[in-house]
Amino acid sequence: MSQTLSASTLVWVPLAPLIGSVLAGVLGTKFGGNRIGRAGSHSLTILGVLVAFVLSVMTLLSVVQDGARFNETLYTWMTVGGLKMEVGFLIDGLTAMMMCVVTFVSLMVHLYTIGYMHEDEGYNRFFAYISLFTFSMLMLVMSNNLLQLFFGWEAVGLVSYLLIGFWFNKPTAIFANMKAFLVNRVGDFGFILGIGLIVAFAGTLNYAEVFSKSEELAKLSFPGTDWMLLSVTCICLFIGAMGKSAQFPLHVWLPDSMEGPTPISALIHAATMVTAGIFMVARMSPLFELSDTALNFIMVIGAITALFMGFLGIIQNDIKRVVAYSTLSQLGYMTVALGASAYSVAVFHLMTHAFFKALLFLGAGSVIMGCHHNQDIRWMGGLRKYMPITWITSLLGSLALIGTPFFAGFYSKDSIIEAVAESHLPGAGFASFAVLAGVFVTAFYSFRMYFLVFHGKERFDQNPDAHHGHDDHHGHHDEHHPHESPWVVWVPLVLLAIPSVFIGYMTIEPMLYGEFFKGAIFIDAEKHAAMEEMAHAFHGPVAMAMHALTSAPLWLALSGVALSYYMYMVNPALPAAFKRGVSPIYTLLENKYYMDWINENILARAARGLGAGLWKGGDQMLIDGALVNGSWKLVGWFASGVRKLQTGYLYHYALVMILGIFVLMTYFVWLK
Amino acid sequence: MGLLSLSIWTPIAFGIVLLALGRDDQAKTVRWVALIGALVSLLVTLPLYGQFNNQSAAMQFVENAPWIERFNINYHLGLDGISFWFVLLTAFINVIVVIAGWEVITSRVNQYMGAFLILSGLMIGVFCALDGMLFYVFFEATLIPMYLIIGIWGGPNKIYAAFKFFLYTLAGSLLLLVALIYLYTQSGGSFDLAVWYSLPLSSNVQTFIFFAFFAAFAVKVPMWPVHTWLPDVHVEAPTGGSAVLAAIMLKLGAYGFLRFSLPIAPDAAHEWAHFMIGLSLVAVVYVGLVAMVQQDMKKLVAYSSVAHMGFVTLGFFIFNDLGVSGGIVQMIAHGFVSGAMFLSIGVLYDRVHSRAIADYGGVVNTMPKFAAFALLFSMANCGLPGTAGFVGEWMVILGAVKFNFWIGFTAASALIFGAAYTLWMFKRVYLGAIGNDHVRDLTDINAREFLMMALLAAAVLYMGIYPKPFTDVMDASVAQLLKQIAVSKLPL
Amino acid sequence: MIDKISLIAVYPEIILFAMTCLIALFDLGVKTTLRGATYALTMMTLAVVAILEAMYASGGQTTYAFGNMVVSDSMGNWLKCFATVAVMVTLVYGRPYAGQRDMLRGGELFTLSLFALLGMFVMISGNNFLVIYMGLELLTLSSYALVALRRDHVVATEAAIKYFVLGALASGFLLYGMSMLYGATGSLDITSVFKAIATGHVTHQVLVFGVVFIVAGLAFKLGVVPFHMWIPDVYQGAPTAVTLMIGGAPKLAAFGMTMRLLVEGMLPLAIDWQQMLMVLAIGSLLLGNLAAVMQTNVKRMLAFSTISQMGFVLLGLIAGVVNGNTLSAANAYSSSMFYVITYVLTTLASFGVILLLSREGFESEEIADFAGLNQRSPLYAGIMAVSMFSLAGIPPLAGFYAKLAVLQALVASGNPAYLYLAVFAVMMSLIGAFYYLRVIKVMYFDAPITASNVVAGADVRVVLCLNGALIIVLGLLPAGLMALCAQAVLQMLGT
Repeated sequence: MSQTLSASTLVWVPLAPLIGSVLAGVLGTKFGGNRIGRAGSHSLTILGVLVAFVLSVMTLLSVVQDGARFNETLYTWMTVGGLKMEVGFLIDGLTAMMMCVVTFVSLMVHLYTIGYMHEDEGYNRFFAYISLFTFSMLMLVMSNNLLQLFFGWEAVGLVSYLLIGFWFNKPTAIFANMKAFLVNRVGDFGFILGIGLIVAFAGTLNYAEVFSKSEELAKLSFPGTDWMLLSVTCICLFIGAMGKSAQFPLHVWLPDSMEGPTPISALIHAATMVTAGIFMVARMSPLFELSDTALNFIMVIGAITALFMGFLGIIQNDIKRVVAYSTLSQLGYMTVALGASAYSVAVFHLMTHAFFKALLFLGAGSVIMGCHHNQDIRWMGGLRKYMPITWITSLLGSLALIGTPFFAGFYSKDSIIEAVAESHLPGAGFASFAVLAGVFVTAFYSFRMYFLVFHGKERFDQNPDAHHGHDDHHGHHDEHHPHESPWVVWVPLVLLAIPSVFIGYMTIEPMLYGEFFKGAIFIDAEKHAAMEEMAHAFHGPVAMAMHALTSAPLWLALSGVALSYYMYMVNPALPAAFKRGVSPIYTLLENKYYMDWINENILARAARGLGAGLWKGGDQMLIDGALVNGSWKLVGWFASGVRKLQTGYLYHYALVMILGIFVLMTYFVWLK
Repeated sequence: MGLLSLSIWTPIAFGIVLLALGRDDQAKTVRWVALIGALVSLLVTLPLYGQFNNQSAAMQFVENAPWIERFNINYHLGLDGISFWFVLLTAFINVIVVIAGWEVITSRVNQYMGAFLILSGLMIGVFCALDGMLFYVFFEATLIPMYLIIGIWGGPNKIYAAFKFFLYTLAGSLLLLVALIYLYTQSGGSFDLAVWYSLPLSSNVQTFIFFAFFAAFAVKVPMWPVHTWLPDVHVEAPTGGSAVLAAIMLKLGAYGFLRFSLPIAPDAAHEWAHFMIGLSLVAVVYVGLVAMVQQDMKKLVAYSSVAHMGFVTLGFFIFNDLGVSGGIVQMIAHGFVSGAMFLSIGVLYDRVHSRAIADYGGVVNTMPKFAAFALLFSMANCGLPGTAGFVGEWMVILGAVKFNFWIGFTAASALIFGAAYTLWMFKRVYLGAIGNDHVRDLTDINAREFLMMALLAAAVLYMGIYPKPFTDVMDASVAQLLKQIAVSKLPL
Repeated sequence: MIDKISLIAVYPEIILFAMTCLIALFDLGVKTTLRGATYALTMMTLAVVAILEAMYASGGQTTYAFGNMVVSDSMGNWLKCFATVAVMVTLVYGRPYAGQRDMLRGGELFTLSLFALLGMFVMISGNNFLVIYMGLELLTLSSYALVALRRDHVVATEAAIKYFVLGALASGFLLYGMSMLYGATGSLDITSVFKAIATGHVTHQVLVFGVVFIVAGLAFKLGVVPFHMWIPDVYQGAPTAVTLMIGGAPKLAAFGMTMRLLVEGMLPLAIDWQQMLMVLAIGSLLLGNLAAVMQTNVKRMLAFSTISQMGFVLLGLIAGVVNGNTLSAANAYSSSMFYVITYVLTTLASFGVILLLSREGFESEEIADFAGLNQRSPLYAGIMAVSMFSLAGIPPLAGFYAKLAVLQALVASGNPAYLYLAVFAVMMSLIGAFYYLRVIKVMYFDAPITASNVVAGADVRVVLCLNGALIIVLGLLPAGLMALCAQAVLQMLGT
């Protein structure tokens, strides 16, 4: 514990954005009858996020400089029997880093939004939402226990739901947001079971306490089986991560989430929320580290995502979807790193990726604005002379993404590749192939997009549906030529470009090989030596960059760029030919491996069919029809029979009485 | 007159006054009297919170007076951590219902309001009764006002619904009556619950008692497969009726399990736990699926109620503190959430006079304020953390996993189903472009509706963010109950 | 010579008889259409008698008079007291109705009712087979006449004929049974019959032979299966006021007679007659409830409901003696007594409303006639609803405790067969709930046919309100009446 960190200050990190959000949400929207107006909303929310950012930076500094740590409970949520459920903060390197990333990107996005959404009637609501998101995300990363983690986990899911469906009149949008929520729920289903197992066997939700018990937990086996308890637990937890961080096969929601406004694609679906899963696994490293089964599972899933989602990026024509698929594959990279128990590397890539991917998304947004809300890269080209700043920043972003030496992406991605190479898990072979191949693919589709957008012939006047692109809620413009975006839009680009270039170079040493994550991330060095061996091989960032010249990844990346240059700049006829040549593969990619088709036409339909069957057959026919109303009909039937006995004929009545006597006689007098 | 008697009889007294108040030309006064009555009834319950002692598991505010000497039936009231919140909840919901019916009900207003006030008094009585027969009297008496409420102010098919409600539930409770009388004779002439708790019973007898209780309580909860009355009744009942039915009446059954089945026949309860758990899980999964395909908003919410109550019974029969308190918390939470859901549907119904999901779409465009509340309640309904709906589900799932992973696994599927049917309805009703002219002509909620929604929203959020007050109250009693049912009652 | 005690014991009967003759004469001079004077005089008489009986009952000592011909004990006196009140209420409700159907051309309604009441008195307090039989005949003969009071009314006369023929048959059964017992025991005096049987020297078969016939006779009076056939037709056919006269007070008398004959007279034979009553009870519960479900005519529906309700009364009686010991007897019989009293109370209220709704040339007999009563008159709808819920046995109303008491008696007997019987009974009352609910449904859920609001004379209104209120009050505080029944029965068994 250190005196430099106190609950009273830390609490303002999440609270400031929350207050901003509530004010903007209640007073700024139709709900409270828009009292404070646009300026009011955005200044309030931005102020909130700014406060959070400043405090986060201070926190980071005190963590780095005087190794401050913080782990305290704010208030007890409830206590049941012995089990305490609390809300509290845990501050260490990991948290501090995440806080800064989240608040910084969020701040950039807030600024950017002023320009991007200025025509939208939901302006204030949008600010309320993204501030609410910032709050939720901060609660998630700052948590010191699983309850609060789950709270943040679901809360960011909610905001993502709200933001994907921000344009609630757009059928695709409101379908996408429901899909996103449900797929995430599938993940949470696993997640809550994992938490349940931890509570059941560790009897606590607090990270520190759980980790202190990890050794005993490792000895236990899952009831009724000889599986290792922790393997089940970790896999359950990771299923949660698969949902949030869009790992195969729960990735399907992320591309559709692009229906939302671009700023949130940058904030939520690239930089922060989707990385929550990665963060969670890193946070839980003391548990995951004990189960090779789980790690292996994670690595394979990550590898699949990294490679195959990359392929899909190649054939996309929607600028945002290209970036979305690259996000998927980058998340795959992080997951692979986790699998190789190079948690610090994963988190490192998380950070660098947050910057350059946010940059790319915002750049894409800027391009979309420049092209009057056309998102189709086939109708762009040659934009560099119209939108110079966007052009340069996007170029930097792309270079970082493909891992050009000295750029941020390079350090993180190469470290991942190395780590996988060093890993000895069964899945490592496939994984390292996947990540290597991924480099080529990434380079190819990134620069395909780059060339199509910023170079080559100007095609934006050939767009068949120039005026009603995806975001036609924005209203129309008369002049067709692209234009550079206003300063509120390009300033964030520049501010993001800077870390995209330098952050890796500056932080790789402390983060991967230094003390930064000490106490936050735990690695069992005997079993998983990857980090150790890398540490031996590491001689400073410059040396690493130099060494890259003689290693495969760089050349793969270069060939990717070269190929895309040849195919889209030199010989534009080639893609079409290629398309015809391998049409089966192409259709497979076109249909995203038929994942959506399976979900919608098999799973969803089966559920609905089953529901209808149980309703009509079970409830209405069997229970209600046969049993309930049936028994009543039976009564009615008897009743109508009995009624007939009352004939109204006197002699019948007399006869019945005499019969009655007779029966009583026979029974009581003679038979007994 | 003790606090509990006050809580029970104040609303009933006001209800009788209302019935006497007569015709509809005084509707205005009637409404105000009703509101005052409801508020006063709520106020008299509040001192309970101040004076309740969390630490003690014993009955508090006990009142005991002979009632029918011949059968040694006593007017025996008391409150413990298990029943505590339901008294307040009932009084609270009662206020909401009066507000909800304010200008919506125009015919026979005094009878409408009167019925609800009397009903709330009777239901509070059920939660306070510590004498078997007193419990039964209150338990059964609730049928009368509810039957009239459904039948008089109900929808087109109200007659069927009213009869189904009355006979379905009566069928169950008549067996309960026989069981109570049986216990009375077994215990040598006492209807006192405390006596029954310590009464040794052979395993066959316990099984008989357990299932006699089951017949009554399972129907009320309702558990699958005796749940089929609920959707029909909800669909036809007036908004207020649905709200009270879902918010409180269903709890009478679940409460009965805690107060009667578990402590009186613990061995049978343990013996049949897996049967009960099975039914609860069926409720969660089967009913969850059924809810998904409903075309009628009220039916959908009704089925979701069944699924949520499945969590309650599941929690009770896994016999650990997480489960049982989780079940109780779920009951309270469901009281707020389902009440809110039905009232929201009522808000739409009052305007469009249709409950069919297909008749809506894009409501958010014309009713932004209302849509915001509806979103909150829908999220609570699919158990989003930070809302009341989450707390109970969370506790029960954790408890279930503790008890047996696969039971927890099945239960947790509610996360998916719940979200699926709730959000799908939300999408089709509120989101999207304006569906039709009815929706275009909608006017947003007025101050009265806003107040009603805001009260519920506050409750839902408060319970989600700070449930400690709720669990603290019940902790001691639940622990006590668990201790009690852990001990076999088989005669040596 | 007649001793003083005997005279004191039968004062009420003497007053009743004397006044009846006086009223019959006095009425000749009355000319008003509603015979207000006769009415007033009758009421006064009945009030006096009722008060007297109440005093006797609460005095609580048992006196045998006229050489054990009659007995005056608190059970009998209470029953007589309630019967008197029931007749009063009946006349209050019935008078306007009768007036509209020119049944008041003469004062027969009053005089015959009084004679019927006298018959009930004799039945209740008779301690000798012949006395009881006389009382029964006095009651039934006046009843026949009452039913036929509208002699130009076809349905009524037909009902009267049916009632008369079947009634005669039943009396025959009873008389035959009595003679059997006389032959076997050599006495008509109930006490000595009891002693004779208790010795056990009498041939069992002959006794049972007699018991069968006596039970049959009682069953007819109570109206239980299979001796119930007259009930629906007579209830429906008779003028409603008379229906109430037959269906109300006489049930109390029938119960009293049953107690005298079966319990006081033949307790040692309980094993036999309990089984017989069980058969009858099961039949009545089953048939009564099932048949009632289908009825559209309120009077007919109530007739069948009566049959099922009487089945419940029998259930109480059969729980008295459990394999030889009579510990639970008081409990059981008093539960039956409580049941009968509450039943009569409720019947009075429900018929009261029916009578109230029927106007000049309009019998409010069909259930449909009650449509929307709640809009027309919430008060009377409320009273009807209360009595229906009470008959259905829903708490907190008197009828519930009656059922509770009987079921408790059954279960307490500890006989597993009786436990199943209890379950059967509640299942039947579930079916019963349906048709009672249907009346409420019509009153509350359906739209009214006529908007005409209900007019009632002051006396009717007041009595009806009291009647309805009493059902609720007895529902909230049944302790008093229960204690009363228990004490009365205990005392009777004591002797």
